Amino acid sequence: MHNNNFSQTGYLTRFYLRRDWLKILIWLIGLVGLMGIGGGKFDGLYGTKAAMNSIVATLKTPAMISMFGPFTAQQPYNVALIFAMEMMVFMGLFMAIMNIYFAVKATRAEEDNGILELVRAHAVGKYAPLLAATLELLIINLVIGILESLSLIAANMTGANAAGSWLFGLGLAAVGFMFGVFSLLMAQLSDNARGATILSYLVLAILFLVRMLTDVTNPDYTWWSPFGWIEKLSVYDQNIWWPVLAMLGVALLVIGATFYAYAHRDVTAGLIATRPGRKQASALLAGPLTLIFRLERTSFIVWLIGLFVLGASYGSIFGTVGDIMKTNPMVAQLMGSKAVNAATQTVILNFAALLAIVFVVLSTIPAMQIILKLNGDERKGWLEQIHAKSISRLHLYCSYVVLALITGSLSLLLGVIGMYAAGQSVMDTPIPLSRFLRAFYGYLPALLVTVGISAVFAGLLPRLQAISWLVPIYGFISLYLGNLLDLPKWAVNLTPYGWINNVPLRQVQWPLTGALVALAFALFVIGFMLYRRRDMVEN
Amino acid sequence: MIMVENVVEIEHLQKKFGKTVALEDITFAVRQGEVFGFIGPNGAGKSTTIRTLLGILRASGGAATIFGQDVWRDAVAIHTRLAYVPGDVYLWPNLTGGEVIDLFLKLNHQKHSAKTDTLIKQFELDPTKKTRTYSKGNRQKVALIAAFSTEADLYIFDEPTSGLDPLNEEIFQKNVLALKQAGKSILLSSHILSEVERMCDRIGIIRQGRIIETGSLEEMRHLTRTVVQVQTKQAPNDISQLAGVHDIKVDSSEVNKISFAVDSDQMSPVMAALAAKEIISLQSTPPTLEDLFLRYYNDDRQEVKRDAQ
Repeated sequence: MHNNNFSQTGYLTRFYLRRDWLKILIWLIGLVGLMGIGGGKFDGLYGTKAAMNSIVATLKTPAMISMFGPFTAQQPYNVALIFAMEMMVFMGLFMAIMNIYFAVKATRAEEDNGILELVRAHAVGKYAPLLAATLELLIINLVIGILESLSLIAANMTGANAAGSWLFGLGLAAVGFMFGVFSLLMAQLSDNARGATILSYLVLAILFLVRMLTDVTNPDYTWWSPFGWIEKLSVYDQNIWWPVLAMLGVALLVIGATFYAYAHRDVTAGLIATRPGRKQASALLAGPLTLIFRLERTSFIVWLIGLFVLGASYGSIFGTVGDIMKTNPMVAQLMGSKAVNAATQTVILNFAALLAIVFVVLSTIPAMQIILKLNGDERKGWLEQIHAKSISRLHLYCSYVVLALITGSLSLLLGVIGMYAAGQSVMDTPIPLSRFLRAFYGYLPALLVTVGISAVFAGLLPRLQAISWLVPIYGFISLYLGNLLDLPKWAVNLTPYGWINNVPLRQVQWPLTGALVALAFALFVIGFMLYRRRDMVEN
Repeated sequence: MIMVENVVEIEHLQKKFGKTVALEDITFAVRQGEVFGFIGPNGAGKSTTIRTLLGILRASGGAATIFGQDVWRDAVAIHTRLAYVPGDVYLWPNLTGGEVIDLFLKLNHQKHSAKTDTLIKQFELDPTKKTRTYSKGNRQKVALIAAFSTEADLYIFDEPTSGLDPLNEEIFQKNVLALKQAGKSILLSSHILSEVERMCDRIGIIRQGRIIETGSLEEMRHLTRTVVQVQTKQAPNDISQLAGVHDIKVDSSEVNKISFAVDSDQMSPVMAALAAKEIISLQSTPPTLEDLFLRYYNDDRQEVKRDAQ
């Protein structure tokens, strides 16, 4: 065993797990906690039959189906069925995101750092690092899946059974592992970690949107998206196991392709090669702002297009969402056509308000990423020579902040416009753009404040700045699931997103907007004062 | 502009990281138009000193000025007249070498010039390649080309040749000497002692966060020992009794031939004593910088050993 292509795999796997243990633990606590707390809380939420019927009616509307997947179980309903429907797509998304993170980190990122080269120079099999990364993902998913199952069993919801709980947890493990493996393949295609991450999210986004569009139009087509397979498990209802096997089968095929690609390329090279570039800098590359923009150009474009496509995808189901005649024909007949029109608009605007939360949180991500790069780029040693030039810290800081705010605002704007543009073509009575833009004006200040908080962290605690991610993550969970989980008002108000009213259904609260913009400005100033006074982070 | 004789002036500079003291007491100056060599073992504080000079780190005590201006407060003004090459050059992976060079020039409000093209040719750099494909040496070339084509008054190099091959090292030395002839001031931190010996007018030796010696190589040689090999007609027995003579070795293959080290300030009495013995042949070897450096370095290690005991 000392001289084969896989020697030392076991040792490397243990080493990877030890290296990542803290990060694994944080994800584990987050995901298992979400599952367990959700499961424990649900029983109290829908205790009565009336409450249950009303939530099921809501969940069966196209808007909710687009967000959470279809509700396929038949009467009699129980709490466990509702829980499974509300949590499956949501948890699946988080599992996929976690796997993309660990997959790229264990493969392409190590290669970028030159660590793979060092490892491969030792008595280590050619495929051992890749196999170890694959095993690491498998173990992480398995452990989290099992713990999720156990937490569900412990939560002991009405209508839950052990078989369903095991299927839930292991199904999530399977979908997570499958996306991790997709990412391993992307890490072979791209020759840098960022490219691999972007490609992975592109795959996730496409599969998620296919799932969403097919769910709303015809759930039979959801089979086209492997992401949609988790909806077919029918947890706590029929408990169908074979989609789990299908996901593992796909994972196995992709693993084969990954190893093939890995075997046919050089270390540090990707299948998509880096082309030579310009001999001299263009006039557009002339200072910190243009430099950072140039570096972030690809992700800038990807985020803008991504938000627009996401907005347009949701906008394209506005017709179905607003079709009260279909979802509630009795009521619609009683109301009369004028009232139906008004009600339709309300339903659509309510849906748009929920979407606005998704858009604003997603738009916060690139903006925050850019702010945190103020220290991230420093740690990579890229800024040392900038500091040695006649560039003040204020200039450098402002460059990152300005680009972050431009990226965040434009992403949010394009999400809203995409929603409007696609919705326009499918609605019977179109709603004007200005109405939708309330979502933009309303939520932009929350984005500014959140990014401002990350700037303060970047100035104050450069090593722990990643803490600022808690704001958008918690904001998303508290608002997206907040109503369903019946969170108290104060718990929703912990993040700036919770302070915004139901735009675009309601009016923009301009005084609050003004106050939040002022607060954001103050946060950026504080961030700078902290940044100016300290040492730059050492490598 | 006020003419200052000392381009860089550092007085009792201190830097602490939490409880670790990185710089304890750094005092030296770089004079107008000279090449100042900055040497010392790994981890002695060379890069920390340089980063403090650049305003990247904030000093915990003492004072440092460049062009008479405070290195922290007036960093931006200072940097318009300064060029810097770090020891480890990290570049943005998705830009090409050519783009980075131009960017560095523009950040100092300067332009890609004919000199830049000459330097690219001299160092044989392919500027169209993305920097992620460059080796350490090539990344260093990018920084060097940008620095040499920058019009500045002070050039700071932090171990700039650690990844270069001997040919490129020579090109580096040639360019530094050209800068010196043009009256520029240069602060060169290096491990390659022959390089420092050849190029530097004065030298500062740093050890454990303190400057332990500054001066020209000549001055430093006075502080240390010269190795003397001598053969005399009469037996040179009593030489060992003289002050300042160390490490006497008797060459058994020849009559009355010995070698020893002598403190530079005791040279005259020793020579007089030897002359009295009738010198047949005499060879004296001045200490190289390496000897100097190793002597300080060994002292350092002995101290550590003593501490351990």
